Amino acid sequence: MNENLELNLELELQAWLDGELSAPKARRTDPKIVGEEEASRLITELQAIKSALAGNEMARTVPETRALYWSKIERQIQRPAPGPRLVQAPRQAAWSRCFAPLVGVAALACLLLLAVEPYAPPAFNEISSTGEGMEAVTFHDQSAGMTVVWLTDTAPARTTESPDARTPNTEDSEVEVE
Amino acid sequence: MSLQQDKSALSDADLARAAQKGDMGAFEELVARHRDQIYARAYSMVRNEDEALDLSQEAWVKGWQRLAQFQGEASFATWMTRIVINLCVDQLRKQKRQRAESVEVLEEESGGVERFMPVTMPNPAAGLERTELRRRIDRALDQLSAEHRTVLVLHEFEGLGYREIAGQMGCSIGTVMSRLFYARRRMASLLAGLKRENEE
Repeated sequence: MNENLELNLELELQAWLDGELSAPKARRTDPKIVGEEEASRLITELQAIKSALAGNEMARTVPETRALYWSKIERQIQRPAPGPRLVQAPRQAAWSRCFAPLVGVAALACLLLLAVEPYAPPAFNEISSTGEGMEAVTFHDQSAGMTVVWLTDTAPARTTESPDARTPNTEDSEVEVE
Repeated sequence: MSLQQDKSALSDADLARAAQKGDMGAFEELVARHRDQIYARAYSMVRNEDEALDLSQEAWVKGWQRLAQFQGEASFATWMTRIVINLCVDQLRKQKRQRAESVEVLEEESGGVERFMPVTMPNPAAGLERTELRRRIDRALDQLSAEHRTVLVLHEFEGLGYREIAGQMGCSIGTVMSRLFYARRRMASLLAGLKRENEE
């Protein structure tokens, strides 16, 4: 029984057998030097297993024909990589970041207008609000209890300096009530 | 001479270079040459035919994708074997996470009763034909835990050192040493048992 051998010594003996110890440590650990009968017996057992396993792994062959085995690999290799969607995503996010505050402000303004005059008869059906580069049109149908907000990008093309290109008015917001 | 015959005359290194330039035919020839070895390594670790088949094919796909990294320092077969070993270790790690903490798992880590088993002196290979010895070794490997088997396979069949095994398995060298020790002791016991069984 090797219960008298300490685990560390057992592991050192094994490392000695596997040639994993430094030269000075290997000299100290040599079973002949350790001198315990149990150590020698353990080394014999470990050595026997090591020798029995060496070069005796069971050979195995793929249980498929060459063509079938390759076909699955080929399919995986030729599968197209995920493409441009990932590349375009950040651009879309940047667009959203620019316009989200404007859209939010326009929508809030429309809701405030509706809240200020809740009892007014269907005095208006449509509110148009124009801001810089954006027009918000709100349509309200009281009988149907429905409100629809349209947001339109009216930003002029930046390539021209023609004053015509700056319409509609970009200085002030205007609210039209019909 | 057909194109396929042309390829079969080329060395692994030549085929690998051609494959690096995008020649899929060259890569297919490499697969044909080494598929059994890669599959066998996967099987020796996961001990399941379907899983080994999937993992070996996944390894080839990864091999193709990483061909640019193959510098020819080791042989192509060795390089591919490392890829399949990595995949198998990952797979076994996933399976281990899925297993509930059990007495069996704890015993695997601590070595169970193997440490206290009597030393078996008879040589397990004595008087056996090689085919029979291989069959017995294979049966015994089936009965080891995945952790012990992996360390044993990597050390005895792949010839990796403690440090390399620790790197592959993501554990300490001390853990590798104790797993290897218990795996060997258990193998000694199992092979002695199989020998007795056969003699009775």
